[in-house]
Amino acid sequence: MVVGDISTGTEVLVIGAGPGGYVAAIRAAQKGLDVTLVEKDAYGGACLNRGCIPSKALITASGLAHEAGTAEEMGIHADPAVDLARMIEWKEGVVDRLTGGVEKLCKANGVNLIEGAASFVDDQTVRVAHGGDGQGSESIEFEHAIVATGSRPVEIPGFSFADEHVWNSAAALSAESVPDRLVVGGGGYIGMELATVYAKLGADVTVVEMLEDVLDPYEDDVKRVVRKRAEDLGIEFSFGEGATGWSEASDGGYLVHTETEAGEESTYPADRVLVAVGREPVTDGLDLERAGIETDDRGFIETDDRTRSAVEHVHAVGDVAGEPMLAHAASKEGIVAAETIAGEPAALDQRAIPAAVFTDPEIGTVGMTETDAEEAGFDVAVGEMPFNASGRALTTGHTDGFVRIVADADEGFVLGAQIVGPEASELIAEVGLAIEMGATLEDVAATVHTHPTLSEAVMEAAENAQGQAIHTLNR
Amino acid sequence: MTVKEFRLPDVGEGVAEGELVSWLVAPGDRVEEDQPVAEVETDKALVEVPSSYDGVVEELFVEEGEVVPVGDVIISFRVGGADGASADAESGDTKPTDAEPDDSEPTSVEAESGSPSRRTFAPPSVRRLARELGVDLSAVDGSGPGGRVDERDVREHADAEGSDPDEDDATDPKPVEMDTGDRKSAVSKRGSAEGAGATTAAEPGSGPEPAGRDRTLSTPATRKLANDLGVDLDDVPTDETREGEAFVAEEHVRAYAEASARPDDEAAPPAGEGGSGVETEPTPADPATDAPGETIPYRGVRRTIGERMEQSKFTAPHVTHHDTAEVDALVAARERLKPRAAEVGVKLTYLPFVMKAVLAGLREYPILNSELREEAEEIVLKDEYHFGVAVATDAGLMVPVIEDVDEKGLFELAAEVSDLASRARDRSLAPEELRGSTFTLTNFGAIGGEYATPIINYPETAVLGLGAVEKRPVVRERSGDGTGHEVVPASTLPLSLSIDHRVVDGAVAAEFANVVMDHLEEPLLLLNE
Repeated sequence: MVVGDISTGTEVLVIGAGPGGYVAAIRAAQKGLDVTLVEKDAYGGACLNRGCIPSKALITASGLAHEAGTAEEMGIHADPAVDLARMIEWKEGVVDRLTGGVEKLCKANGVNLIEGAASFVDDQTVRVAHGGDGQGSESIEFEHAIVATGSRPVEIPGFSFADEHVWNSAAALSAESVPDRLVVGGGGYIGMELATVYAKLGADVTVVEMLEDVLDPYEDDVKRVVRKRAEDLGIEFSFGEGATGWSEASDGGYLVHTETEAGEESTYPADRVLVAVGREPVTDGLDLERAGIETDDRGFIETDDRTRSAVEHVHAVGDVAGEPMLAHAASKEGIVAAETIAGEPAALDQRAIPAAVFTDPEIGTVGMTETDAEEAGFDVAVGEMPFNASGRALTTGHTDGFVRIVADADEGFVLGAQIVGPEASELIAEVGLAIEMGATLEDVAATVHTHPTLSEAVMEAAENAQGQAIHTLNR
Repeated sequence: MTVKEFRLPDVGEGVAEGELVSWLVAPGDRVEEDQPVAEVETDKALVEVPSSYDGVVEELFVEEGEVVPVGDVIISFRVGGADGASADAESGDTKPTDAEPDDSEPTSVEAESGSPSRRTFAPPSVRRLARELGVDLSAVDGSGPGGRVDERDVREHADAEGSDPDEDDATDPKPVEMDTGDRKSAVSKRGSAEGAGATTAAEPGSGPEPAGRDRTLSTPATRKLANDLGVDLDDVPTDETREGEAFVAEEHVRAYAEASARPDDEAAPPAGEGGSGVETEPTPADPATDAPGETIPYRGVRRTIGERMEQSKFTAPHVTHHDTAEVDALVAARERLKPRAAEVGVKLTYLPFVMKAVLAGLREYPILNSELREEAEEIVLKDEYHFGVAVATDAGLMVPVIEDVDEKGLFELAAEVSDLASRARDRSLAPEELRGSTFTLTNFGAIGGEYATPIINYPETAVLGLGAVEKRPVVRERSGDGTGHEVVPASTLPLSLSIDHRVVDGAVAAEFANVVMDHLEEPLLLLNE
């Protein structure tokens, strides 16, 4: 236990041990720098503890349960009983294993780990307040700092995450039981993923969304596939409405109040309400202004293509540095930050950052859509392959969706892809590689793909864009 | 209807770049295949560049006087269907999306094309290499399919830039500037409070014209700096763009702030003593380029000569042998032949005689008609006698080649020398007339002088310099009694023979020179040649 204030120095101070921070710390240590990583909560950050990993665990488990119970067509008759508490326990085990791994990796690479909340004293010093019973704090002088404090779910007026029946995504991933009725405020990717989980676990789910469709940035035909499947799962949608508050209902449950832009009000009975309307950067308590750093009007730290903030020796990576708020983007930024500090010519020069949504079916996207490419002035060639023409998709019982590949018509360079369908999150990686390597449709189409696999659909889409597909009619 | 880009072709042996001397067409002109579109001065010749397309000139990417590397796009044509409207719209309002086109940087593929599909395609490893070498990828010509840039392209571009550093001023991201110094400067920037002074000084009229844009892109660090210096980013002049928007870098902000803070005296030309000076006299040197003396661009023929000389003198250890031939007989022979030559329209100089004398020497000492191939570790003795003849021209030294000296008569050689020399001065020699020599002669004596130390026309092994044929005092045995010596006037030809000492030693050079002198002193011997 440290009481009082002690002072140490480090070459690189990393604040936050999520997928941006721990990756930056390890890479900086690999470059021979003296690295101190400060984490106030849990190694692995939101991604490992409250986001990507736990949600994928529950998505897989709930999907398995649901699939086992709905496979009569394949001759399987089952009525799985779900023990949610056990499922959550299993999920926690997965999380613990991963977060423990992060801690071990950091130590093995020589990263000095400190638990506590960091705040800037000036542009060369932070004070770290140790939580728990060690009331002490220490000052750490740094030559370079990497702010990787991440983001948290946004609260909306009328709903407080302090209330037991009001969930944020973290609470939804640690629930003790499946609510009978779940209202989800927000039809974005987090809302849709969790709505699917609970629908598959047997809840009556209603998604309330301000906009006129789910999954806002995606293209209509991509959204349609996911929405239709969600409707088949029994999820109900109310578009054009925003949740404004709640009240207690006579049946012991709650009523979620919504309002349209025109002022029309509705109520939805619920036992739990999940608020998933977005995430906001975490910078409070950091005292960034003492280091001379300002945040923009959404609270993000502005950075350049080498992750440097306005104070050049202070970098920011991950969600706190703005969109895209994706773990793999954070990790890339962390690597660039560490290598830049190490004096290497690293830069955020990627052509595209892939994104995946783990709905049913999944969505995987990378690079430009057809519209993006047209707006950028390309003469666009587009090819598609529906999964209902894929042998492997048929054998999985999941044939919704398609692969669409977008390319430059003149030279054939692959510019982007949108995949909605089984394993879209995995399939998208191939197109990501194609984009980064400057591969052409020809390159993708001429690469032999294993049969029978879903990945053949990517090859077929490339062939389709060239007007040479075998298994679909060329458009 | 498509837009075709046309790159500067390789117009001659080993030519890496050329100066675009003049455009022969303008945008909107209709051109046919093989019609000349531009005049380009390359290594040693002025050549016309023919079009490869039938079509309409869309855009010229290079200004007259600019030096263009071979392979760079210089012009684009609209070819095929004549739907001009869509082409205009396309090139008019769409900009490359992800390049950083610097409009003043015409070697940038992105900036040139006006076609958005020209975004640079390069794998991540190559992009990293480009950053390491400080190469602007958008300025690299990709050799892969569709212009995909690979590692070799980047390295070659970097090498090319190394020899021509002024070509790249917009590289981004910059080469790494790092570490504590960097950090300190970032810190002190925040503290520096000269801002107030700069703000007031930036009033219109006293400094550079504010650009007054609506939107300006820059990094957060630059924005911060601008703020500290009291500079409105939208006012900072820049010719860099990102995603089609003006982009301001730190150095622009500093330059603008400094210029704004400076009092009027720099902007105004230095005032003359009297009142008359300023209006009537041309403005003296632009303050920005106000260096002592005059600046002459080092490029084109001048630079080629320089590079060749450098290569020769730094590669081949030169040794120069001097001797003097007594040429009274040669002078007499030439006098007798001159009218005969004139009858067939040939001006007979001493050079053809010297060429024949050299030929005699080379036949006896073929090692001087050779080339050392360092990599192959071999010396190649040439079985041809192609003589380069150095000609002074307004643009600089040129060395046209007289082929097969052993097969030509004196008059024929004289006619050919005179033709090549005059065409060298007109700059109308074809590149092939400037290559292939095995031995070179330089007749500096035509202007005056006795001895020199000529530089070998690398990779040849020897060069012979000729001084002026003049009467000079020579010592001879006194005629008649054979008892003493006397100094008498005689026509002499001073010879300066430089050899590559790697290939041949001084003794051989001297023996060769003796053979040459022998033939010059007794011109009848030339009948053998």
